Order: sequence, then C-alpha cells, then structure tokens
Amino acid sequence: MSRTAAPKGNSTAAGGEGTPVNALTLPSHAPWQQRGRLALHEPELRQVAHALRRTVIELVRRHGQGYVQQGLGAAEIFASLYFHEARIDPADARWDARDRCILSTAHNSALFHAALALRGMIPAVALDGYVQDGSPLEINVSERLGPMVEGTFGSLGQGLSVAAGMALASRIRGVPYRVNVVLGDGELEEGQVWEAAMFAGSEGLHNLCVVLDLNWMQVEGHTDSVLRLNPIADKWRAFNWQVIEADGHDLGALLAAFAQARAQSERPTMVVATTVPGKGVSALEGVISHNAKLPADVADTALRELGVSA
Amino acid sequence: MNGLAPTLEVSDFTQGGAHTPAAAAISVPRYYGETLLELARERPEIVCLTADLTTSTETDLFRDSLPERFVMPGIAEANMVGLAGGLARSGLQAWVHTFCVFATRRPYDQVAMQVAYPRCDVKIVGFLPGLSTILGVSHQAIDDVALMRALPNMTVIEPSGPAQVPAAVRAAANHRGPVYLRMLRAQAVLPPGTPWEPLEIGRIQPLAEGRDALVIASGLAVEPARQALQLLRAHGIEAGLANAHTIKPFDEAFVREQARRHRLIVTVENHSIIGGLGSAVAEVLAEAGSSTRLLRLGVRDRFAEGASMSYLFEHHGLSAAAIADAIRKKSKEALK
Repeated sequence: MSRTAAPKGNSTAAGGEGTPVNALTLPSHAPWQQRGRLALHEPELRQVAHALRRTVIELVRRHGQGYVQQGLGAAEIFASLYFHEARIDPADARWDARDRCILSTAHNSALFHAALALRGMIPAVALDGYVQDGSPLEINVSERLGPMVEGTFGSLGQGLSVAAGMALASRIRGVPYRVNVVLGDGELEEGQVWEAAMFAGSEGLHNLCVVLDLNWMQVEGHTDSVLRLNPIADKWRAFNWQVIEADGHDLGALLAAFAQARAQSERPTMVVATTVPGKGVSALEGVISHNAKLPADVADTALRELGVSA
Repeated sequence: MNGLAPTLEVSDFTQGGAHTPAAAAISVPRYYGETLLELARERPEIVCLTADLTTSTETDLFRDSLPERFVMPGIAEANMVGLAGGLARSGLQAWVHTFCVFATRRPYDQVAMQVAYPRCDVKIVGFLPGLSTILGVSHQAIDDVALMRALPNMTVIEPSGPAQVPAAVRAAANHRGPVYLRMLRAQAVLPPGTPWEPLEIGRIQPLAEGRDALVIASGLAVEPARQALQLLRAHGIEAGLANAHTIKPFDEAFVREQARRHRLIVTVENHSIIGGLGSAVAEVLAEAGSSTRLLRLGVRDRFAEGASMSYLFEHHGLSAAAIADAIRKKSKEALK
C-alpha cells in the first residue's frame, strides 16, 4: 500500500478556531478502487478501518466539532460494507446492477465521505471541501455530491423505505442486486422504520440487508435515557426478518453476517452490530456525544495514537 | 379472494348514505384507472402503489391486470412514498395512490425529501380533493395544493373533471419528475358526445370570453363557476372563464395578460384561499403592480365538516349561486 502525498488543497482549507490545517493521510490504493465486489479479507479490512478512523479525526479536527464518535464507531461496518460486501463500480456510480448502499444515518458523514474517497468513488482531494461553505460534502450527506450518494436521508427514519423500494425494483425489473442499509439505533424511534420493516418482512425482500449501528447514542444521550429500544433483535424477528447479532468491531463476525444475509432466500436480514462510540481512540472510546467537540490537542493525540506523526 | 363471503362493495366515500345517487358507482367508467392501465400496458416502467384504497383510487384495474407491478404497502403512507422514491431511483415510474390528505399532509417530509428534492419520477395521485367527502375533517384536503405548491421541483395538476382526467394522466406520465395529481372519481358517466378535454402542463385553458371580469377556476370549482357565468349574464355581467388545471408551474404570463384586459379577476377553488390558486394569482398581480381587483373564492381559512358535496359547496360559498353572488358584489366595487 502506498501513501500519497497530501493534496495541495489542504494547505488552503479553513481550519476551526485558528487551528493549523492538518494534511489528510488517506492512502490511495488502486486495488481498493476496483470495480466489483472487493471481498477483502480481515487483515486488509483492518487497514481500511484504520485509514478511515484517521480520516474521520482529520476531517472533524478541522471544525473542532462533528460526528467523530459515530465515525470511529462504525469504521468496521463501513470497511466490511464497501471493501468486502458491496459490488460497486467507482467509475460508474449509475451501474444498473450495482449493489446499493444507503446511509440512513446521514450525519455519519466524515466516515462516509472518507469511505467513498478510499474506495475511489470521489477524489480524495474532494475531502478538503468537507463542511466548507458551498461544498457538496455536507455534514448531512446529500446527493448534491453526485450519484454515488444513493439518497438524502438527513431526515431520519426514511432510508429503509427507499432501500425497500430499491430492493423491490430489483425483483420487478429482474435485475439482480443487493441493497444494504446502515441504520441508526436512535432512528428506530421513528415510526416509518417499522412501516418499512413490516413491508420488507411481509414482501420477503431477501436482497435487503440492514446493518444497525447500535452505539446506544442519540442527541439526548444514551438511548435508554430516551426510550427503551430493547429487545431489538426480537422486534425485528417478529417482523419476519432474519436477525444476526454481531460485535460491530469484529470484522470476521460482520463478514459472516453479510454471508448469511446473502444466503437467505426468504427474508430480509437485520445485522444488529453493537459498536462503541469513539472506538480506537482511548480519549474518545465510550464517550456518548452525538456531536462531539474535538479540540486540536485531543485530535492530535488521537492521530498519534492512530499512527500519524504530527 | 380469500374464500370468505364477499363484503359489501366499498364505495369511494364521496357521497354515501342518503346522498348517494340511485345508480351506484358500479356503472360509472373509471376514467382514471382505465387511463393508467392503458399507459402501463404501453410502458413497462410504470408501477402502482396504493395504501389500502385500491377500489377508491380505481387501481383495482391495475392490480388485477398487472399484479407483478402492483405494490400494496398497507396503511402506511410515509413508507409508501419512500418506497416510490426507491422504485423511481431504480428505473421505474412510481404512481402512488391514496386520498389527497394522506398523500400530502401526512407524508409531507417524505414527499419533500424522497420525491421532490431528488426529482424522482413519482406521481402522487390524490383522491377526495377539498370538500368532496362525507368522511369529515380528517379526509378533507383543503391545504394539499398549498403544500405541494410550496415544494421545489413539484408539478401540481388538477383536471376540471372526468373529461380532462385522461389528458391529465398522460401529461403527468410524460413529465419526467415529481407530479401531484389531484382529482375526484367520476360520479356519473360523461354524457354521450362529450369531448375529451386537452391538458397542457403549465398553460391555463381559456374556456369563455367576457369583458367585465375573468373567472379563473380549478378542479371541481370549474363547473359551478361555469354555471355562475350564466347567472351573472342575467344581471348584465359578462364574465370570462379559464381553467387553471396546472397550479404549478403557474401560467403567470396568462394572468399578467388577462390583468391588462380585465378590471376584476376572480379565483374559484375547492381548497383554502391560502396557498392555492387564489394565492398564485394574487402573487402574480401584486408583483406585476396590477390595479386589477382580485376576489378569491374558496374555503375561507377554516376546517370543514363531513357532508354531501352539494351541501359543502353551498355551505362554503362554492355553489354557482354563491359564486355569482360574490362576483356581483365585487364587480360593483370594481366597476365603480
């Protein structure tokens, strides 16, 4: 794996609160940008997740605040989804037979944009625009960015319905593809999620796979302090879904869950992936903060911990 | 069929009870449903979704003929609109059906985010517009046009009656992108020889000339407005009539032109006077700096009640007599 020099644009990007702008360390690795299903194995996926975590810190550092906890927490989910499971073509975002990836938690944008760049779906230099005025890389992911964004879901609870529509279209049109959704746990409080769950279960949309990013975190704090979500797995089973519970940081477990989802021929699959907010950075791990402050010194410590020399 | 005894025929909830005409709806052609099915036979990309109101939206024809392209999400409009977005993003043209209120007010955010913003090829078809049902306040769509009109990228079409429904459906199908189509099922067979009305999106359709005033009406208000013109003639008032079947994009040029030719413009709509046709005309006149008087007839900023359509139209000033009366009073003022 080669690490390219930081793009020149970095030096001109605005930093938060007078913080010197840091360079991005996102590697550009051609084999990770190929067309099709990459099916990378665990050791490489660990490198992917590591690179994504670094980029999350680097992107959020520039603003001093953002969705850093979710980004760190879902790095393995995104690594396994984009670099193992999903069949996509970075050069052709409109490929009819591509697997769809829906980010229903549209605010997890530092991680999402980092994954797109690492997969070659947007140029790495585009990350410099992240959350800059006028940039299509918004803090809530928007399809302004282009067709590689399958939908705009800043309004929570809507992603699963659109995904179910896509999964159904595959059946109606006879074009085989899979639809993957990253769903938030706080989002389960939205009634529409259950409308869509009932529909997908009733229709037996077996080409639909949801990964629930179960980090127990929402704006108000711990989800249990808001509404009791458990028993989550039983709820989805009752809606006629295949449910797989996994450690959301265990790449082997995530790959096995995707494989089991693929093998299913009657039901949609819900992978309940337990994740830890801020995973991988000791100062942030386990800290419940929906939109966290990330002072430069904390970010720099985090980057050192992730192997980036200042 | 599930083998159980058939249930009573589900009516379209338009009239009901003592108000139902003797000849039940069975013999009335399903102008909407037939046109949609005809189109779907021509175009394999058309799919049909209905939220537990198949008969009431005439989509039983589609369901029975093209079941593989018929989707029943149940009583879940938010999900239905999201599904439609997903279907449309995957190469299909999705036609969504329910009553007007449940097609607009209830899933408004879903329509905005999953249909209008991404310009998905979704047709949202609402039945029971305005004051057209005994089902009461929950089912009366008096703000749906205002809601849909406020959304960027949305086209809003309301045919004036069954004779214009086929053209409205075809126009919506030919328009690539979001459309809100608002209509009432036909209550009776069109009289023999009735010509089909054309419909060109974005062009107000002039129906009659008149020097004293111009009435711009939409949807179910066109017919009583036409009758009002006759009543006005008896009082020496010659009013013209135009059918604003497209509320968005709105034919501003037509209104500006007519404002130069008339001292009074009257809007008549089966909808709140806030945000619909009346507002659209008012905006054009105000921005043009026109001195033409404006009278907006419609539901005057209040919720309605369940009753027969004739009662409701009478009660809310949309009967021919009430329209003529209001125009007569206003024209005295305007013609001073």
